[in-house]
Amino acid sequence: MRISKHLVLISALALLVSFTAYPAAAGKKDDTLNIALEKELETLDWYFNTAREGIVLSQHAYDFLIYRDPVTFEHKPLLATSWKWLSNTVLELELRQDVVFHNGAKFSADDVVYILNYASNPDSKVKYWTYVNWIKEVKKIDDYKVQIITHKPFPPAIEFLSCAMPIYPKDYYSQVGSKGFGVKPIGTGPYKVVQVEPGKKIVLEAFDKYFAGSPKGKPAIKRIVWRTISEVNTKAAELMTGGLDWCWLIPPDQAAKLAQVPNLTVVAGETMRVGFLYMDAANVSKDAFKDNPFTKIKVRQAMNYAIDAATMSKTLAGGQSKPVDSVCFPTQFGCTGDVTKYSYDPVKAKQLLTEAGYPNGFEVDFYVYRDRPYAEAIVGSLANVGIKAKLVQLQYSAMREKFQGGKVQLAFWTWGSNSINDISAIIDYWFMHTNDDIARDPKVLELLTAASSEMDVEKRKALYKEALQIIASQAYTVPLFTWVTNYCFSSELGFTPNSDETPRFFLAKWK
Amino acid sequence: MEVVFPSPQQIMRRAMLHHKGFLMGLSVIIVVTLLTILAPVLATHDPYAQDLGQRLIPPVWQEKGTWDHPLGTDNLGRDYLSRLIYGSRVSLLIGLSVMLIAGLIGTTLGLLAGYFGGKMDMFVSFLVTVRLALPAVLVAVAVVSLIGGSTRIVILVLGLLVWDRFAVVVRASTQQIRPLEYVAAAKSAGCSTFRILAQEMLPNLMNNLIVVATLEVARAILLEAALSFLGMGVQPPTPSWGLMISEGKEFMLFYPYLITIPGVALFLLLLGFNLLGDGIRDVTAPEGR
Repeated sequence: MRISKHLVLISALALLVSFTAYPAAAGKKDDTLNIALEKELETLDWYFNTAREGIVLSQHAYDFLIYRDPVTFEHKPLLATSWKWLSNTVLELELRQDVVFHNGAKFSADDVVYILNYASNPDSKVKYWTYVNWIKEVKKIDDYKVQIITHKPFPPAIEFLSCAMPIYPKDYYSQVGSKGFGVKPIGTGPYKVVQVEPGKKIVLEAFDKYFAGSPKGKPAIKRIVWRTISEVNTKAAELMTGGLDWCWLIPPDQAAKLAQVPNLTVVAGETMRVGFLYMDAANVSKDAFKDNPFTKIKVRQAMNYAIDAATMSKTLAGGQSKPVDSVCFPTQFGCTGDVTKYSYDPVKAKQLLTEAGYPNGFEVDFYVYRDRPYAEAIVGSLANVGIKAKLVQLQYSAMREKFQGGKVQLAFWTWGSNSINDISAIIDYWFMHTNDDIARDPKVLELLTAASSEMDVEKRKALYKEALQIIASQAYTVPLFTWVTNYCFSSELGFTPNSDETPRFFLAKWK
Repeated sequence: MEVVFPSPQQIMRRAMLHHKGFLMGLSVIIVVTLLTILAPVLATHDPYAQDLGQRLIPPVWQEKGTWDHPLGTDNLGRDYLSRLIYGSRVSLLIGLSVMLIAGLIGTTLGLLAGYFGGKMDMFVSFLVTVRLALPAVLVAVAVVSLIGGSTRIVILVLGLLVWDRFAVVVRASTQQIRPLEYVAAAKSAGCSTFRILAQEMLPNLMNNLIVVATLEVARAILLEAALSFLGMGVQPPTPSWGLMISEGKEFMLFYPYLITIPGVALFLLLLGFNLLGDGIRDVTAPEGR
């Protein structure tokens, strides 16, 4: 009896010590917002990183030419004050004259010309190639006026300029290069990056010379300490103990529990992200594997029948998540669900596998970089029809490299389209015969190429529809569902999530 | 007046019945063995059957628990009790097969080294030293990540890794037995070396071997769980206790039973094997009689 009393006392003491020893990073008191995001940024240079974290950072540290209102999706002036199409392929932009970079350099047409020409040159090898390759050339007209010349008419140009292509200072970037810039970036954004400790944290501080009249407004919170935490229990524990003021991507089960904790607010937010399984129909992995069942259409169709995306969407993702029949977000221009549908039918899946010559299924490595519980559910469903999918979980950058190198037969990808509300932001990236395209359908390429320069809205829609219908009837992918993200933050923080999956802390304030 | 001396068997039986650790260990292992054999009868559900409408139901002793799923369900709505019962199959299968492979390698090497001595002994001692210099988990992780994980691979890799204790123990015991009279008698009777090793030495090493074997089973089970936890052992959706812990990891904070139930099961099984091993050592050791 006595021993157990001692034990209780000692453990209580240990608990107390562990709590007080915890580096109390009080948020509101010292005007520091402690946030945690999911993935480690390989580089802070937007052009060389396709992770969502890079997009979030670019909104804070950099400015685009045009601002897209996160609520109305209306295009507003940012670094460009006005823009007009001189012809189908020439876009003229007037630039703002009162903007300075974080290092004090003055912003002018030279910066815009430099970075856009640099990125749209194939030699630069930017990661977001399909987002910039529509630009043929950028010309300086005078110090505050530029013209963007496109290869062909490019209807979503304004949308792209408002969600992609941050402007960097020419002198600094050309001096340090992407590598130097990636660890010590300089932009014109409302926050400047003051500290980068790779693998640990990024510290942002409000930029006091941020130009008045920006639609982003002057930030209300002075400092942001940004850390990488992908483990959900750690996130939850830090939120509960006050180590974090803001976090997202909390799975629905944990979010429901956190919502009951006083001082924490949980908000479910829709995102433009859709998930899908990509199968190597084009056999790009032929050097790495002897047999590739996914070259057979019946196997790909069986995969579609074997996975119950509707139930996964309802029970695992929850909230506003909806199953999709095409690899695109329903609100995106050109996206349609009017394609071949594969409802959940494991019996039919087995039958198709038998017809394809795999009566006992087959073994395949299944590559995953996030949402492991979803992946486990998929593994279970595939096992149900005899397909033994071996789960291989990698970091995002490592998986992308393997995938692009033709060493992956089955991958679980998600894509947030950089929040661009146009189907080209997703479909071009995955189906235009790039390294990320493992379907490589020539007809799809033809249609997408035609669509990307089609100025007539209805014709453009029809082209995308045809492409999506081919993709679905050929079953190149298994479209899953749309993602929701649960935001969880301190009740002292005034924060509103936006449907474009980009938290904007310059709009947040302490209550 | 007749004085009855108990036979050695009777002494041992009495010692066993009075050794609490031995009895406990033995009963745990009997229970787990029964679970393994009777899994299809005992498991109320298919351990692979996903039912996403029945996710994360807590165990029966918690609020909202139901007798339909006595230990609750996991993240994918699979019955946890059924998975636990089928998981014992994986644990025992791997534990016993690894022990057999390792035992075969280790005993052979130990016998040869102990009996022949000299260069053979030096060679075996060298092998054992090399093996001891390699951390088992590290090598297993490296090998499995190179050639991919599956139950068969895990058994092979672990079997080829954990034979060192067998070799060391058998070598030492063989050296003790070698100069004894019955070995010399067998030699002078013209027995072949193989016969001496197999028929004269081995039976007298059995007690030691059994003790090492039980400990090695425990070690193999733990290694399997560790590998599966790291995603490099048994592959999902096979129910394995280590994998169950790994899959429950994400839900640890709010649904701790997903971790504690397979964790406790693993703890009990290992405790059982260790107690049994210690018990056998105690009741068979001459000084214990």
